[in-house]
Amino acid sequence: MTWKEALGNSVPADLAREIDTYESQLALKGQGKIDDKVFAETRLRRGAYGQRYDNGQRNDGTGVKMLPFPSNGRTKGPDTVWDAPGMQRIKLPFGGLTAAQMDTLADLSEEYSDGVCHITTRQDVQLHYVHIDDTPSLMRRLAAAGITTREACGNSVRNVTACPIAGVCRDESFDVTPHAEASMRFLLGHPDVQDFGRKFKIAFSGCRQHACGLVIMHDFGAIAVTREEDGVEQRGFEVYVGGGLGAVPHQARPFEPFMTEDEILPTLQAIARVFARLGEKRNRARARIKFLVAQLGLDEFRRLVREERAALAHDDRWTAYLDGLPAYGEQPLKTGHPLDDESGSPTFKAWARTNVYRQRQPGYAVATVSLPLGDLSGWQFRRLADVARRFVGDTVRTTVEQNIVLRWVRESDLPALHGELESIGLARPGAGSIADITACPGTDTCKLGIASSRGLAAELERRLGEQIETLDEAVKQLRIKISGCFNSCGQHHICDLGFYGVSRHVGGHIVPHFQVVLGGKWVDNAAAYGLAIGAVPAKNIPEVVRRITDRFVHDRQGAETFYDFTKRVGKRALRETLKDLTTVPPHDVRPDFYRDWGDPREFGIGDMGVGECAGEVVSLTEFDLVGAETQVFEAQLQLEADDFAHADALAYGAMLQAAKGLIKTEFIDISADPNQIVTEFRSRFFDTQLFFDKYAGGKFAQYLFRRHARGERPADRDTARQLIEEAQLFLEATHACQARLASQPAVPPTGNPPAVAGRA
Amino acid sequence: MGAVSTSTIAPDVANLQRIALKIFLDDESLLEPGDVIPVFHRWIQTQAVDGLLIDVADYSHMPTGPCVVLVAHEAHYVLDRAGGRLGLQYARRQPLDGPLSHRLATLGRLLLRAGRLLETDTSLPGPVRFRGNEIECVANDRLLAPNRAETLTAFRPALDAFLATLSAGAEWTLTQETDPRARFGLLAQTQAAATLDTVAERLG
Repeated sequence: MTWKEALGNSVPADLAREIDTYESQLALKGQGKIDDKVFAETRLRRGAYGQRYDNGQRNDGTGVKMLPFPSNGRTKGPDTVWDAPGMQRIKLPFGGLTAAQMDTLADLSEEYSDGVCHITTRQDVQLHYVHIDDTPSLMRRLAAAGITTREACGNSVRNVTACPIAGVCRDESFDVTPHAEASMRFLLGHPDVQDFGRKFKIAFSGCRQHACGLVIMHDFGAIAVTREEDGVEQRGFEVYVGGGLGAVPHQARPFEPFMTEDEILPTLQAIARVFARLGEKRNRARARIKFLVAQLGLDEFRRLVREERAALAHDDRWTAYLDGLPAYGEQPLKTGHPLDDESGSPTFKAWARTNVYRQRQPGYAVATVSLPLGDLSGWQFRRLADVARRFVGDTVRTTVEQNIVLRWVRESDLPALHGELESIGLARPGAGSIADITACPGTDTCKLGIASSRGLAAELERRLGEQIETLDEAVKQLRIKISGCFNSCGQHHICDLGFYGVSRHVGGHIVPHFQVVLGGKWVDNAAAYGLAIGAVPAKNIPEVVRRITDRFVHDRQGAETFYDFTKRVGKRALRETLKDLTTVPPHDVRPDFYRDWGDPREFGIGDMGVGECAGEVVSLTEFDLVGAETQVFEAQLQLEADDFAHADALAYGAMLQAAKGLIKTEFIDISADPNQIVTEFRSRFFDTQLFFDKYAGGKFAQYLFRRHARGERPADRDTARQLIEEAQLFLEATHACQARLASQPAVPPTGNPPAVAGRA
Repeated sequence: MGAVSTSTIAPDVANLQRIALKIFLDDESLLEPGDVIPVFHRWIQTQAVDGLLIDVADYSHMPTGPCVVLVAHEAHYVLDRAGGRLGLQYARRQPLDGPLSHRLATLGRLLLRAGRLLETDTSLPGPVRFRGNEIECVANDRLLAPNRAETLTAFRPALDAFLATLSAGAEWTLTQETDPRARFGLLAQTQAAATLDTVAERLG
């Protein structure tokens, strides 16, 4: 008996066909009849993702060791071993979950994963350590519960997100849930979304002022608005396009101030067609729609979309769902009833202060189940499904803060609900506080992770959780978000205190660091993005949090927000506060600095061996890298002072200085002439691919080449900001390249002989 | 649409491969889950236990369920807190040869070997001791072993033989997991006291 036979007609026919096809593709890949790249995209579009060490190599703390998977050369993508465990991403449109679906997810986590379900920053669920041979059964069981993993990854439309309190929010214009759901259903598998160069993310928000929808960081974002027309209220959306975080974040641009409901789906289709036709396909690094919008300009992009929209053949699905809108809504399980303010234990009251939101419907509340690092066990998920059945029915949603909300809780049931959650270890208080930290998987499971975002988040949650009752109220409200690398899956740009993982080469060792990101804004749909003010050793980050929050409490003026505080005090002063924390103690004094949070292995040292001569030259490189870091920081200050030309020049100068530092490892007499630096850098590090990132290839070098080729054209805010982000990434790539060079056996350099000295 | 019931499917324990066995700590206060993380990493470095050892997953922030997982290709070694009790679990993921009774004995040997390694690890702060008179068996496959009475009937002969070896014939009492949605699971307890060493010797 197989799951396919057991489930029979329980799997919807269309999904059953798709999964059968996917299973056949697995078999064909086993027979070597499908190209690696094609198969990789095929499985990605089914949500079956790669995971760290799936190339069959791992640094065990003493060196890089082979993991001899018994795959007999079989692969599931380029450089990806068949038998290596992978991650399965499971799409939950607008985060919606029924109790039965929670049961299924619980079962799958136990049988195919490691017993843990992980809620992501896009309201998805992820299971880790899944064998690819198990994925067809896993998908069939999901499909039988009404869930598809189709297009959960890959170059297509990803999960459509929405406010988790849509429909019950006190401030929203109207419930955006049906629009989010209709967008997902319309675009899922649509022929017009199959030929993108990169992914496409959509979000819906019920209001402007809150953060729930994070519209400004999306490729397509829609904020619910209403207007009066002939005395009648008309519903529509304020539409934004071209946003995105990632390595080079862009804020979405206002596309249309009022788009009627019936135009949302056809406009999405038109945008998809323009993106598929004109978006970059070859260079992944510039293939998101944000680059197309920037390249074309918003007006031209809008014109093209409108032209495309006008030419579209009518599709009934554009508006079919609108007929059901008046009747749309969740049915509460119980009649609303207010909570007696005196009810409940002190523990309940502490929980209720942070984890309960009073709905606009009298007598009802939303209860947040705060999950440490977004994790809950299969057993907890099944018990939570029981809790949902008892208190709220099928009105559960995941959140982008990696939590779960139970909507339509009768207020008078809250103490009993809290008791039930306590009994299954899910009554953690502090939801939405500084102790409720968002973190991407980082080095735990992600192939791109540089430092342990989850390890750091766990440590900060532990420390801050212990202090939460004694923290200043203003500090309690702050948000911390952590990414394991610059790609921003942990959304470090859009919070009060953001961190992203980097590494630094110190005295022959590689040391885990985090860039400290300040100036981001969570509210107003992620209205402002923060910038890095400097890298600090991972082990000093808790002290960074303490110092900055202490200073905020001490220097805050009135009811000043943290965002306004950082702007007023200035990044230079805040950076100065952290200056001593940037120093890495010697290895023999503090060996713990050379290990990451939650990981006893020596950090990324592999089989590194550093010759004396190389060490000498590297110190010159270090000097240039420090200078480059300073220039990037100065560029930020000039950007804030609206001196865009100066900011641009400093960011460009930082890249040149970093490149120069690297060139000195081979050619110490390099001049300060930009042409010579770029020429030497190109021939020694780009053409030789020494500078290439394993995954990003030469994209960081292209930042320098593009800026150099641009000459002295004037810069505006957007171009200056982008160049600063690019300069920061170029610097990180330089650090990484330097570390790689230092870890290589000492060999004479190729190419032109050094003028004075070189790596021996 | 909801979870699909497997109540009409006949169990097929003869083909059951995904089985997890767990032994329990005698005194949980002597071990912090985080203490095991460096031990598991060292096991990877020294290939101290059987299998292709891949990585260590830290879930010590969760109040229940797996705490620390030594991820391997063939099986996971888990410091587990499911059911509120801390113990060591060996959760098989890849098939083993032989009949069910033989497979159970193999799993038992692998688990006990890992347990004894923890008991003798001098880097751990407190003396770690596992109970030799209690073991949990979970069938991690709802298709082949749904949590029903028929599964217990089909599973008993192999399990009884395995348990009899562990206790040198002393009687065991079995408690079955009652939630029909949960995996088929049995907690076996015996009055006959034994150290892990003794139990391991009996298993051979």
